[in-house]
Amino acid sequence: MEVLQLLISGISQGCVYGLIALGFVLIYKATEMVNFAQGDMMMLGAFIAYTFINILGFPFIWGLLATIAAMALVGVLIERIILRPMIGEPPFAVLMITIGLGFILRAVAGAVWGNDPKSITSPLAGGVVRFGDVAVGYENIAIIVGTILLCLALYLFFRFTRLGVAMQAASQNQLAAYYCGIPVKRVFSIIWALSAAIAATAGVLVAPITLIDPLMGFVGIKAFAAAIVGGFGSLQGAMAGGLLIGIVEQFAGLYLPTGFSDTSAYVILLLMLFVRPEGIFATMQKKKV
Amino acid sequence: MKGVLFSARNLNLSFGGVRAVRDVSFDIGRGEVYSIIGPNGAGKTTILNLISRLYDVEGDGRMTFDGEEITRIAAHDIARRGIARTFQNTELFEHETVLKNLLIGRHIHRKSNLLTELLFTPAVARQEIEFRKVVEDVIDLLDLQHYRNQVIGSLPYGVRKMVEVARALCIQPKMLLLDEPSSGLNPEETEDVAFWIEDINEDFGATVVMVEHDMNLVSTTSNRVMAMADGAVLAIGEPAEIQSHPEVHRAYLGD
Amino acid sequence: MRFLFKTNYRQDVRLFKHNGQRFWYSLLLAGVLLAPLLMDEFYLGELALVYIYAIAGIGLMLLVGYTGLVSLGHAAFLAIGAYSHTWFLAHGWPFPLALLKASLITALVGAIVGLPAMRMTGIYLAIATLAFAVIVEQVIVHWESVTGGFRGMLVPQAQFLGLDLSGSTAFYFLCLFILLICLLLALNILRSPTGRAMTAVRDSEISAQSMGIHLARTKSIAFAISAGFTGLAGGLLAHKMGYLAPDAFTILISIQLLLMVVVGGLGSLHGVIYGAIFIGLLPQGIALMRDYLPPAVSQIPGLEPGIFGFIMILFLIYEPLGIYGRWLKIRQYFELFPLYRKSTHKRQKSYLRTERMR
Repeated sequence: MEVLQLLISGISQGCVYGLIALGFVLIYKATEMVNFAQGDMMMLGAFIAYTFINILGFPFIWGLLATIAAMALVGVLIERIILRPMIGEPPFAVLMITIGLGFILRAVAGAVWGNDPKSITSPLAGGVVRFGDVAVGYENIAIIVGTILLCLALYLFFRFTRLGVAMQAASQNQLAAYYCGIPVKRVFSIIWALSAAIAATAGVLVAPITLIDPLMGFVGIKAFAAAIVGGFGSLQGAMAGGLLIGIVEQFAGLYLPTGFSDTSAYVILLLMLFVRPEGIFATMQKKKV
Repeated sequence: MKGVLFSARNLNLSFGGVRAVRDVSFDIGRGEVYSIIGPNGAGKTTILNLISRLYDVEGDGRMTFDGEEITRIAAHDIARRGIARTFQNTELFEHETVLKNLLIGRHIHRKSNLLTELLFTPAVARQEIEFRKVVEDVIDLLDLQHYRNQVIGSLPYGVRKMVEVARALCIQPKMLLLDEPSSGLNPEETEDVAFWIEDINEDFGATVVMVEHDMNLVSTTSNRVMAMADGAVLAIGEPAEIQSHPEVHRAYLGD
Repeated sequence: MRFLFKTNYRQDVRLFKHNGQRFWYSLLLAGVLLAPLLMDEFYLGELALVYIYAIAGIGLMLLVGYTGLVSLGHAAFLAIGAYSHTWFLAHGWPFPLALLKASLITALVGAIVGLPAMRMTGIYLAIATLAFAVIVEQVIVHWESVTGGFRGMLVPQAQFLGLDLSGSTAFYFLCLFILLICLLLALNILRSPTGRAMTAVRDSEISAQSMGIHLARTKSIAFAISAGFTGLAGGLLAHKMGYLAPDAFTILISIQLLLMVVVGGLGSLHGVIYGAIFIGLLPQGIALMRDYLPPAVSQIPGLEPGIFGFIMILFLIYEPLGIYGRWLKIRQYFELFPLYRKSTHKRQKSYLRTERMR
């Protein structure tokens, strides 16, 4: 049942891509900015969790919660210091700033924690559940379940709270949102905090599978591809894109020569951009003159 | 100089559930000044966008210009055919000077290719000078000498509208589409608009199609007027006729 | 303040607008030609590297600064240029032809990459170019027969008609010569209809179309020209590196090229030169700085990219017009003294989403 095994791995990897892509899309929907450093925020979250759990000895759940809180704070700080002066600037400038941010985060992580790969002691490590021939690690289950819970929470949040509506208003016309009494800057801070928290969760969930090191944020690029494949303004799209790429990657690794599985994410991306640039769940618009 | 220059039959367009243009048909005579009026949402700008091929006509609608069918040609081909347009919210090249904006209008008259331009042969240099001469003629027509080397971003609104028209004129079009040329202008500037529409029509010899709200401007300059409402044609006729047309009154003022 | 009295249109078309410009640039040219007499080999080599970056930067600037198409994968064009050039040399082609063919091949690839560009805007295009760069890297690794894969390729010595071009002085003049030609070609493009079409596409695609500009063709041409220049730089870079390996053309290099273009000043060729000088000298600057920093900071492996990122952020927030922009402001301050107003350069922010769509 190799196929089923690959499918499960693909789904769990896809969930990780999807979570990071979710962070991208959240920030983009709310602020129209593209955050190229999302993967590196995941990396930072993983390292902070390592500090809480391994170094300071917190129990796993408390460590996770503390990490989420800490990363939310980091998200707010980043938004305040670096992104707020860039409100209203052309998107290219913002993209470059977030790329620069990524560099800085990697340098800081390398300075504070060093470049040797680390791992987080997690109660999920090693345990395996068997469904007939298929063995599924606890970590994979945790990733999938965690992702589902998170997505549900986000859906409820945006559907039923005023913040979700405020966010959409702010993303479409910041000036008008101001006039309607929406605290645009506060909305931005909250969104960045939320995104950072999601990234941190992704980091903690994936840490037992891959080791933590400053360069682990490069999956962010694949997650970016996932967000685009899914449709860059849509939260469902982010998850859908992530799952698609995660699954295809696993199967490419099996059926195609080595090295192709790495590029499969990009090939899917390019195909999607050729065939249907708006992505699976299209939200792209054309200017009306 | 008479005869039909442009003809549209059965134009239809919907955006989602909204029918922006319903079964619109009209003819524009060579050399005339033709205005399209109507309340907001009537579909006037959409008609211009259809003519300049920014939107595709649905169904079996057809458009002919100067004897040739233009229903399915690409948007960048309409300039070559001789149709130029301005936009409701000026779509100028913000980071360039007025001169550069106008020179871009000469693009379709270009005889050089990439290779000769890379080497900047004397022929290319001569072409640049030829372009400049035509552009200067247009600048003279619209009195833009003052603003030649200023970047668009620093210009006041009235001047921008002029630059927009000047740029369209540099194409040396047969037909000029103006989208609300007097919107945002004060009464004095609007009078100027009336004068240069006359100049363009008579000296340049261009047919002018104008979407307008200012009835004064429409009556002083136009030969014929088409009134629209809710995407459909209400009436076509001389300005005086249309102004007293009962349907038009109902569309603008309600019952 | 200088007032130009223009008597004919040719003055606006010429490269040098007035004699003052001609004078200063001639002085610069003289200085640059005399550099080998004043500098030792190491700095000459660094200056040659600056010229190579500048050539690549011209390519990237034409694409990003003038046509508004962001490319996150330009290192791929460097790689294609470098590998093609080396391959042609290894197969017996004379130096200038190998370089030219490498540049043309890269331009062709650029045009192909540019084809889908007509359907994508802004961020989508940037990611597509990134994806393209990753794929090119994989192709280099796997196409062992041509590129030597991970083992890499040895670059033959540069020589032409018996003249050895690999000595530091000879290589310096070679790079300088090619840079001057590239600058001339770029300036020619920019003052002709193609250059104007490119800026039109950048500023407003819709009205560019209404002016008769073929969007897809212009974008493809922009990509092709950009790739051509960058491929040329790649060929020269191959000689500078001496040995080609796939990990020399990573995304970090692409970002460095972008950094050069942004920090130098987007939208002008002056910006390319300033940016190239900045990128060329930055590693030296950091190396010097390392001596003064405490070991905890100076030993971080990610220090160089970290500092790059930091400088990029500083420039983008405080001086988005780049080094050239700052120089223009300074010059304007002295020209208009004491009437200079800071608000002349106040940034126009665009808050409406539609304002930012092209």
